[in-house]
Amino acid sequence: MRSFLLQVAAVTTINVKSIPQRFWLSLSTVVAIALVVMVLLSFLAMANGFQRTLMSAGAEDVAIVLRGGSQAEINSTVSRDQVRLVEEGPGIARNSEGKPLVSAELYLIVDGLKRTSQTKANLPLRGIGVEGAAVRKGIRITEGRMFNPGANEIVVGKALLREFHGFEIGSTVSFSTSRWTVVGVFEADGSVFESEIWADLPVVQSLFNRNNVVQTVRTRLQSPAALDTLKRYVDEDPRLKLDVKSEAAYFADQASQTSDLIQKLGWPLAIAMALGALAGALNTMYSSVAARAVEIATLRAIGFGGFPAFVGTLVESLILAALGGVIGATATYLVFDGFSTSTLGASFTQVVFSFKLSSALLVQGVILALAVGLIGGLFPAIRAARMPIVAGLNS
Amino acid sequence: MNDFVLIGKNLFRKKLRATLMLVSILIAFLIFGVLAGFERAFNAGEEVAAADRLVVVNKINFTQPLPVAYFNRVRGIEGVRQTTHFNWFGGYYQDPKNFLIVMAVEPETYMQVYDDQINVPADAQQAFIRERTGALVGENMLKKWGWKVGDRVPIMSNIFTQKNGSRTWDFTIVGTFTGRKPNVDTNFMVFQYQYFNETQNLGRDLIGWMALNTTAPSQNDRVAKAIDQMFANSFYETSTDTEKAFNKGFAAQLGNIALIVALVVGAAFATILMIVGNTMVMAVRERTREIGVLKTLGFSGGRILRLVLGESVLLALLGGLPGIALAWAFAAAMETSVGNFIPGFAVTPSIALTGVALMLGLGLATGLVPAINAMRLDIATALGRS
Repeated sequence: MRSFLLQVAAVTTINVKSIPQRFWLSLSTVVAIALVVMVLLSFLAMANGFQRTLMSAGAEDVAIVLRGGSQAEINSTVSRDQVRLVEEGPGIARNSEGKPLVSAELYLIVDGLKRTSQTKANLPLRGIGVEGAAVRKGIRITEGRMFNPGANEIVVGKALLREFHGFEIGSTVSFSTSRWTVVGVFEADGSVFESEIWADLPVVQSLFNRNNVVQTVRTRLQSPAALDTLKRYVDEDPRLKLDVKSEAAYFADQASQTSDLIQKLGWPLAIAMALGALAGALNTMYSSVAARAVEIATLRAIGFGGFPAFVGTLVESLILAALGGVIGATATYLVFDGFSTSTLGASFTQVVFSFKLSSALLVQGVILALAVGLIGGLFPAIRAARMPIVAGLNS
Repeated sequence: MNDFVLIGKNLFRKKLRATLMLVSILIAFLIFGVLAGFERAFNAGEEVAAADRLVVVNKINFTQPLPVAYFNRVRGIEGVRQTTHFNWFGGYYQDPKNFLIVMAVEPETYMQVYDDQINVPADAQQAFIRERTGALVGENMLKKWGWKVGDRVPIMSNIFTQKNGSRTWDFTIVGTFTGRKPNVDTNFMVFQYQYFNETQNLGRDLIGWMALNTTAPSQNDRVAKAIDQMFANSFYETSTDTEKAFNKGFAAQLGNIALIVALVVGAAFATILMIVGNTMVMAVRERTREIGVLKTLGFSGGRILRLVLGESVLLALLGGLPGIALAWAFAAAMETSVGNFIPGFAVTPSIALTGVALMLGLGLATGLVPAINAMRLDIATALGRS
């Protein structure tokens, strides 16, 4: 057994040490595999970043109330009377003064200029109630101040400021004939809310001619379990033809549509490219076996088995693949991780998000690389093991 | 034995190696063909846009409404040939997942303004103008849902409700239309604005946006300015742009698809450049002795150069052409299943031609170094080397 292991070790060492003899061909395999891993990981990082941005906005203990069947805030309408009935509902948390933490909101789309493309893009302008910021978790004004009730003032999310022109603090923004001053910038734990513009609900209603109209109601619940209580209350009242969802469920649904799509594009592309790289790896490894035919035959002639030749070739291939995988993963991390961009989300407005790699994704990338190395090494390794001694010595 | 036979023999002397290279080239061109087709579909809106068409939207954003009274005022502006207006309906069929493109339009002017894009038979035109609850359904949408002209279809809206609280509108399919160009997608339906305005509950006499034809593209700028000036400082200010610019801006909202496509295709080509380039160098080096023999027989350096370049170009074409063909077949097979999401997904002749140019480029790039080496090789060294 010991001599068998020594044989394997010896042949493997010979294999690995011979890599520099086929430097350019081996390098092309490594680079090909690295590029495959980069393509896969950048798509997965894009999907992951988008999903995180929406998911981190969704709290389990915040309920969002929409018109029945409307699916997205932009399509919903809720009447003044319905808002009052929801406020009286059970399970809603209260502030220190005993008032329910409820925010009736209007969600409008306005134009902004995207910095990268210099084209108009849909941005959400959200009219929020007095408790709007308190209902949500992790909202912090990082610059300036909150808008004053009744004033033509807006606060903008940090991410929106980064990707779109003209929302710097102190600047005036006009939406048609109405003019607004940017008085503050807010953070929201990197969530989708950072892609929004917020203003006082009554001001938005009057300047956009939407008096007494709101689209959604958000409430902070006493606990995640209180969602069912509130749901039952709404279902039982015939005046409330409304859907109640946890914010987490609402955003999870919106996130999955886009991130599923990105993943569905990324995986087939990466697999197709992996097949191309596999052809390259096979080519390299068959060349390796051919180049060492005399060597392998000599070893066999002096008593080495076929198995060490098999292992040696396979290990060589796996090393090249692992190298490619690590280079690809590192390059993706250096080039794309944290790269900020925006796309049109399910609410028909821009969602600003950053590419985000995770250890689970890196593992997927390295597994794909090793799979290419394994298959790319297997067949040449079998050929090495089965090579007839005489033919090898003659070549 | 002519040179071409020699090239073929050289290429396939190691069948396995040649096959592996062909596979990697084929895959790179498959990726190129599919992604180029995808990108083209993505920009189709910009391509089908008519040069003389303008789009008028609310200045705040195109989802904000305009008063229907603007329609007649715009029609009166000099240089405007015909105008029509639209409302987005937010339609779906049976289940919210079955999203449909449904718009309420002013029937007569709609068919006039978009006459360059869609072909509506004369009897369908008359029926659409006549029938209050009638709908014109595009050929692709009709096929997709298995509907027939004369069917009554219940369409739901995720935005509007009827006065009686129902979210369902029943439409009679009074006719169908086809696209006048291959990249016009007909997976949509239109119905009468009058019917929409009278039955829905959200705001009366509002329209979503207008589209108009000018008398000539040279009039575009002047007309656009005249429209926006006419409504300046009113509650509903407008923003008028060419249809091309509007469609381009909308596509840009999704992200920089062109850049993503370029990066992925670039990665695929970098891979085969390296693999094929190195393999060619190796393959020619293995034949050093033979090249010496050919030169001894009187083959000129130039002819040797052509032989090696011919081999690498042949390899690129043999791998690339089936790759493009496969991409074409893939796009054709996907047309029905992704048609709703990316209409007009196809590998066009211009994509195929670009592909062929890339194959020639790849062939020359991968063959150049070994070809020059082979050309310069002197006989004594070649025969001396083992």
